[in-house]
Amino acid sequence: MCLRAITFVSKNLSRRKGRSILSSIGLILAIAVIVSTFTISRSMEVQIGDEVEKYGPNIVVTPKTQSISVPYGNVVIGNVTIPESSVEKIYTIPNKRNLRVLSPKLYGQVQYGNNSLLLVGIIPDKEVELKRWWNITGSSPQNDSNETVVGSAVKLSLGLTIGSIIQIKNTVLTVVGSLSETGSVDDYSMFLSLQAAQMLLNLVGRVSVIDVGALCKDCPVEVISQQIMDALPDVKATPVKQAVETRMKAVEQTANFSLLLASIILVVGCAGIMNTMLASVHERMREIGIFMSLGADNNHLYKMFFFESMILGLVGGLVGTTVGLISSIFFGPLFIKVTINPTEIPLYPIPFAIILSTSACLIASLYPTWRASKVDPVKALKTV
Amino acid sequence: MIAMKEVTKVYEMGNSQVLALDNVNLKVEEGDFLAVMGPSGSGKSTLLYTVGGLLTPTKGEVTVNGTSIYQLASRKRAQFRRENVGFIFQTFELLPYLTALENVMLPLYLAGASSIEQEDAAKEALDKVGLANRAFHKPAELSGGEQQRVAIARGIVNNPTILLADEPTGNLDQKTGNEIMQLLCKLHEKDKLTIIVVTHDPAKAERANKVVEMLDGHIVTNQNSKKWG
Repeated sequence: MCLRAITFVSKNLSRRKGRSILSSIGLILAIAVIVSTFTISRSMEVQIGDEVEKYGPNIVVTPKTQSISVPYGNVVIGNVTIPESSVEKIYTIPNKRNLRVLSPKLYGQVQYGNNSLLLVGIIPDKEVELKRWWNITGSSPQNDSNETVVGSAVKLSLGLTIGSIIQIKNTVLTVVGSLSETGSVDDYSMFLSLQAAQMLLNLVGRVSVIDVGALCKDCPVEVISQQIMDALPDVKATPVKQAVETRMKAVEQTANFSLLLASIILVVGCAGIMNTMLASVHERMREIGIFMSLGADNNHLYKMFFFESMILGLVGGLVGTTVGLISSIFFGPLFIKVTINPTEIPLYPIPFAIILSTSACLIASLYPTWRASKVDPVKALKTV
Repeated sequence: MIAMKEVTKVYEMGNSQVLALDNVNLKVEEGDFLAVMGPSGSGKSTLLYTVGGLLTPTKGEVTVNGTSIYQLASRKRAQFRRENVGFIFQTFELLPYLTALENVMLPLYLAGASSIEQEDAAKEALDKVGLANRAFHKPAELSGGEQQRVAIARGIVNNPTILLADEPTGNLDQKTGNEIMQLLCKLHEKDKLTIIVVTHDPAKAERANKVVEMLDGHIVTNQNSKKWG
């Protein structure tokens, strides 16, 4: 058994338990808000990142020089094509691991009776993977076959059903499936295998566009686009600005606002800690006088008060982190509609929050400690 | 050993000034047991704390063993107190949340002693004041006399050369007060401690070998006590 700085800190804090807890509430609240902001915004980013895949391509690779032009969705398709082998070249870029799916396509306009049809040659499994919102009645076309899937408007205007046969130029196509309405140009298109389209349009080994689905949560899509253009000098890789980015921005802004709020709470919390420590210095004036009469110097007092505030900061940080994590797990799904998987909670805010809370407490104790060191021991002991 | 040379202490009280020590000269030899007497406000306690390195004089010099203590930096002066001075107060000034043993350990903790040194020396000091069996009691569980004994044990645990006692019997009944004075005499005789005691009570002052009487910040008499002749 012996005396250490911790003896005085623990005995003093336990003597003033109620007040210590009350004064730590602001700090705990601030740390809880900071931790839950990090946790929730991280989970939102992950969730949005997962949704990226559902939004389809985020880079469209087209020939550099285009003649005019069939509008297809956001891009304008000309009759200039690029070699199909470009797909392999795209897989050589430095960020190749971020490429989720590449879907080359060949577009062409053909005449069918009085109608002009938009033919789209696709690699069916790639296109289906890219456009997860597609709902096909029947089946998708097989590679190397003369099967076709028709958009809802085409199906309706030509009166097609599954099993219908249509002849375009010299090619006979069998309708094996139809798309439910998508609200896009896909409704007016006929999809068939890339090989069949190349044969039909006399463009063997050529494609009009390559849709690229890249996982770009951690990497800017512009970087990948540039890498594609570096690998293929004759193409233009256009990043498609999507709602994802807007949503990411919204998450960032909300997180920033929460952090601003947390900073304000932290400042108020620190003021609370400072107030309690000033009261503590005032109450312990006599004790400080005793310490000084027994030979304590400023270092002893600094050690005692800094240690006390460090313990307050550590405990406040730990409690705040726990409250933040638990509340984000329980209240995240309730109020922000974000499901937080406890196994996926990022760990870096924990040490950050604890260091922040301890440093905040140490800063808050600077003035009270300085006041303690300026105590006149004789006045403190009220003996003269 | 202790020399006060033309020491003046003025307290600033708002707009007014109070002269607590007025050009005081005093010499205390090693092993002296000095009693400082005088009415309230005569400057007795101010003199005591000035000698103990706790109260910087407005003017003059205080030397202890040749060292001018107020020329030392505040950290060095704190070290001087830790190593040379033991204080005893009228109201004991024990820390209520520490046991008797822990209170006695306090100066050793401040001096950076190891846990074994702290415990051994504190037990020995408590034994010296006859309170070994009360080591684990908190101050509130001890009588006034016992609390003052703990305070004395705390005052001597660092083996100081000077023990300064400010009205050590002021809060005790006659009998207990006499016991405390007896204990101080024993420490003076056995350990050859230099002791300065501030007291109101002439009977208590008689136990010292020198008596100084103060009035309005001046030393009015400086003589050997009746007991020692």
